[in-house]
Amino acid sequence: MTEYVIEANHLAKSFGDFKALKGATFQVPLGRILGVIGANGAGKTTMLNAILGLSSFEGELKVLGLDPSKDRDKLMQDVCFIADVATLPKWMKVSEVFDYVEAVHPKFDRAKAMDFLSRTNVPLDRKVRALSKGMTVQVHLAVVMSIDAKLLVLDEPTLGLDIIFRKQFYQSLLEEYFDEERTVIITTHQVEEVEHILSDVMFIKGGDVVLEAEMDELTQRFIEVLVTPGKEEEALKLGPIAKGSTFGKSTCVYKDIDRETLAKLGETRRLGLADIFVATMTGEA
Amino acid sequence: MNTFTALIKREMLDGKNGYIRVPAILAALSVFLVVVSTIGFGATIEFDDVIKDHGTVRNFGEALDVAANSEKGDRELPAAITLSYWVMGGISWVALPFVVFFSLLSALYEERRDRSILFWKSMPVADWQEVLAKLITPVLVAPAIFLGVAIAAQLLVAIFLSVVVLFQGGPVLELWPLGTMFGTWFVAISYYAISTFWVLPLLAWVLFVSAYASRLPFMWAVLPPVVIAAVEGLLFESTNFLQWIGVHLGGWQEGAFGRINVDIDGPSDLLDLIFGGVQLDALTYTLASGQFWVGLLIAAGFVYGAIELRKRAI
Repeated sequence: MTEYVIEANHLAKSFGDFKALKGATFQVPLGRILGVIGANGAGKTTMLNAILGLSSFEGELKVLGLDPSKDRDKLMQDVCFIADVATLPKWMKVSEVFDYVEAVHPKFDRAKAMDFLSRTNVPLDRKVRALSKGMTVQVHLAVVMSIDAKLLVLDEPTLGLDIIFRKQFYQSLLEEYFDEERTVIITTHQVEEVEHILSDVMFIKGGDVVLEAEMDELTQRFIEVLVTPGKEEEALKLGPIAKGSTFGKSTCVYKDIDRETLAKLGETRRLGLADIFVATMTGEA
Repeated sequence: MNTFTALIKREMLDGKNGYIRVPAILAALSVFLVVVSTIGFGATIEFDDVIKDHGTVRNFGEALDVAANSEKGDRELPAAITLSYWVMGGISWVALPFVVFFSLLSALYEERRDRSILFWKSMPVADWQEVLAKLITPVLVAPAIFLGVAIAAQLLVAIFLSVVVLFQGGPVLELWPLGTMFGTWFVAISYYAISTFWVLPLLAWVLFVSAYASRLPFMWAVLPPVVIAAVEGLLFESTNFLQWIGVHLGGWQEGAFGRINVDIDGPSDLLDLIFGGVQLDALTYTLASGQFWVGLLIAAGFVYGAIELRKRAI
């Protein structure tokens, strides 16, 4: 039996007349790195807030077997998150942040956090207020990476960081943090940077989960064809979900059509996650 | 319990200006004034012609000696010295109500304004623990620190005066009426405790506002009571609401102490009064007062409301 970290059944949330989430149903198993991808206002944050016990919701939702709206404090023993940039208390020194987390969180490993921090230029006795945006994120990441949690939720974790640190961060997330006993959920607009570490993706649009798939499977389902001139009509008959043109040749994106059939139309290639997202959002729906 | 200690520590750290620096600076200032006036204005030390009646008294040490050996010295001197220590080391109390008010007002407001609430909520700490820590720190821990600082200031003044008297050859031990001093410290604690429970509904209201207001918490805390009082005044031409607030702010003492026949002749009478039964009077009056218990219920309601708002806040 698969152990699920998150089980959502018709998860919904409205703000007045506006339905931010329209009854999403999904499961997230243990040992995955899930990328939640959607345009601004698609409902990502609303969904994550419900999962993290930060807001109420309708429908059924179990995270590690608990109801997040009732048991946030218990849940936080095994769940860790960075919900927004710069949420660390500005009046605290970095060392005092560590002191506090060490005192309230039984699963925090201070030595590990110090190790993460030693790879940065962040001074321990500086107040968070006096740190740059990037340094603040580094401190926060050092904290969450040093907590032995089952679920880590990162909402735009690397916003404001330079590319070198971003690469390093995703690498250490994969190599030092992630294992089959943990699940990581990441939302980001910089899809290219995370797609190689994701095991699963979820696309959200207008409050609905429009696609949920494993990464390997997904990249095989979407194929782009550089249509050989003269075969355009044939190509259109197969029902591409998106059309375009490059270098004077038309391109078509297909979903769930086998590669051999498509190879007859022209040169085929796999789509990147960002392109799949755009094709799904603009084409099908 | 470990978690709660960490929360209190965090609150102390956050409010260390009000909780530690303010009383320390004010106490240091009063001690400084005592020292300067003692040394700077020789009159306190060298009486020379200042006191004509006691031709033999030339300085503070000798004055102390005269007082100690006078008819009422045994009774009055310890009380007089203890009370003057309170005056000399005590101005920091003035700041306490402000520190308590503004700490409560920002308690659950600032964390939402600067978004740090998202960090606090990522820790395994329940909202009721957070809210209670933010209530207890200003209401119980801060006064304890203020009292500690006041005691330290009194001891500093006592040590300083002892050195002066030692040089002047006076009776140093007369400056250390420890029993009386300890007594007043305990009385201060019990008096503060009773006053705090009386004023708790108002304090809890401020905490509730800090959880509720999306901006301008000061206005939210002050305007509604003003409006209620004004509406009551206009519609019913009465002032029951303001009187109710007044009683909780300290007016209850009139009821508690009103029956006491105040006939104070000298500092020891005052201390006798404070030690002898007044505290018990305050306690029995308080426990028998319906308004007191209703106030506590209201306080509980506001604290509950603050916890519920904290649960929903992002």
